[in-house]
Amino acid sequence: MTASFTEEFVEAAGLRIQLRRGGAGAPLLILHGELGVPGWLSAYAQLAQHFTVYVPSLPGFGQSARPDWIISVRDLAAWVTWFVRDLKLPQPLPVIGSSLGGWVAAEIATVNPGLFTKMVLVGAAGLKPDEGQVWDYFMHSNKEAFAQAFFDPANAPEYARYYGDGWTREDELQAEVNREMAARLVWKPYMRSHTLLALLGGITTPTLVVWGRQDAIIPLNVCQGYVRAIPGARAHVLDRCGHLPEMEQPEAFVSAVREFLTARV
Amino acid sequence: MVKEVYFFTEMGYTAYPQDEARRRGYNNLMLPNEHFSPERAQQLYAMYFDELLYCTETGFDGVMINEHHNNPLSMMPSVNVIGAVLARTTRKGRIVFLGNVLPIHDNPLRVAEEVAMIDILSGGRVVCGFVRGLGQESLATNTNPIYNRERFDEAHNVIIKAWTTPGPFRWEGRHFDYRVVNPWMRPLQKPHPPIWIPGVVSPESVRWAAEHRYPYVALAPPLHVIDEIYDLYDEVAAKTGFTPTSEQRGYVIRVSVADTDEQAYEQGRHFFWQLGTSFGIAPRHWLQPPGYVSREARESRREQARVGGPNVVPGGPALSYEEAHATYQIVSGNPDTVIRKLQRIIDVVDPGYMIFWGREGLMSHEVAVRGIDLMTKEVIPAIKAYRADREQGRQRIAVTR
Repeated sequence: MTASFTEEFVEAAGLRIQLRRGGAGAPLLILHGELGVPGWLSAYAQLAQHFTVYVPSLPGFGQSARPDWIISVRDLAAWVTWFVRDLKLPQPLPVIGSSLGGWVAAEIATVNPGLFTKMVLVGAAGLKPDEGQVWDYFMHSNKEAFAQAFFDPANAPEYARYYGDGWTREDELQAEVNREMAARLVWKPYMRSHTLLALLGGITTPTLVVWGRQDAIIPLNVCQGYVRAIPGARAHVLDRCGHLPEMEQPEAFVSAVREFLTARV
Repeated sequence: MVKEVYFFTEMGYTAYPQDEARRRGYNNLMLPNEHFSPERAQQLYAMYFDELLYCTETGFDGVMINEHHNNPLSMMPSVNVIGAVLARTTRKGRIVFLGNVLPIHDNPLRVAEEVAMIDILSGGRVVCGFVRGLGQESLATNTNPIYNRERFDEAHNVIIKAWTTPGPFRWEGRHFDYRVVNPWMRPLQKPHPPIWIPGVVSPESVRWAAEHRYPYVALAPPLHVIDEIYDLYDEVAAKTGFTPTSEQRGYVIRVSVADTDEQAYEQGRHFFWQLGTSFGIAPRHWLQPPGYVSREARESRREQARVGGPNVVPGGPALSYEEAHATYQIVSGNPDTVIRKLQRIIDVVDPGYMIFWGREGLMSHEVAVRGIDLMTKEVIPAIKAYRADREQGRQRIAVTR
């Protein structure tokens, strides 16, 4: 399940960007979360059998450059629209956004109904939970965060592969770079927007909200919050799954996403 | 030569349960404040303020104070409140603020006003230091550590301008915006109180101090890193266009002095009263929240030493009491022994200002006062006289660990 992919640097929207891509067919844009993207995930490889999958490391994350002007999620959202333009990806196109990336996708959809055909929000940040709190990355270590993001890290191959015993000092330094970019974007108010909830009501993009039932980073009630706020949105909740469905339940995740992306609206 | 000698205590809240802190793995930030007793704090404040007053009356050139948050290390969560009390309870001696934690303020003009008030109240006795705060303090005050240094710079700039440029004027910056900068309370000292910059870690802070021609005060570091600090300072000073003298060098040193070496050695253990450390313990990600420590600083010897141990300790030492002695992070002894050790430090550092961190932890009032008496009667006169008639300058002496 390692459909071939390339990893390269591209100039996009004024920045040198680390881009992983693979597969063939219609384009599919993937926006990673606040923990960054550690590699060509098995879920990406599965999706690449049906789409051309584009996974950029967002500015400031991974090996991508960080401009001083991106200081908010909305700044990042603007940049993503330029990225799509500069890579000359066919528009509109479907998008999957995980956690912070889901918030970015939602912000874009609130102002630009023409960019996305369909939108998949996965454990998306941006809203205040009705109950409970978003787990605070900045009060914990990177290693604690990865463990918290999985329901059952001990039995998750992708956890072992990317965050397990092979963890190196370079991995830790990279995690710290990602953490710093996340702090720029979501330190305060923490992992949420004061305006997004109201703006979601204007979204016309068909939306699927995917959540891990045992998400211990962003509580499941935020999933319901998104579904209530976005007209026509529906939820797909995965069992035995934490904050990173694409890593913890890749098959079930890909299956739900494919069904949604291929269905006629 | 040593021109002035000051006294310092962290004003520790010594009544917290160390067993619980040990169990939790930290003794600050998240240590529940149900363990704080205002009644006990009232008693401790009375003792500490009496001792500071006594210092200014008996031979110290003043006292140093500082600020920490969510931390039993220190009962000074507002350096300006402590300074204001001292301004009216002491009659002489400088009050050295090391210092106001600039990045945590959303309205730095308030700092400008308060320091100006205290300068007036004290009759112009304020030395004004600025600091970035501990990493935990970004979390305690929820100020984004990514912008810690930017906010430090800009707050400093607006405060200095408020003190030196006639108002009203407008300020539009990256972190602070003012329609009107026009504080009526302006400092008594002209153009403003002297600014000192204390530090333990960042090369950036050393560089920044030198670029602004501010004295850099080394906070009780291991003696073998002194050259690393002040060589950098001298190098930047040369580019800035001045030659540093002892006037640009301050040095904080833990001092335990008693009638005998043995007594002083035992009493000195009180400096490491927090689970065997001097500053307490916290997980690394609290000490280094995102962006708080630059890549350069993270790789520096001092930072490696600071967070290298199993217990992460700001400013160190996560080390044995014996090693703290060996690296001159504490000197102890009878007055003659302490004078001899301090002379060695003076040879290496050539500080214009020495700050004796002179009491700490569960040291009794009587022991603290005896120490103060020995410092003022014997130690201070001796070290002020040392090398007073000789050429100044740091001496290159190999300091082994």
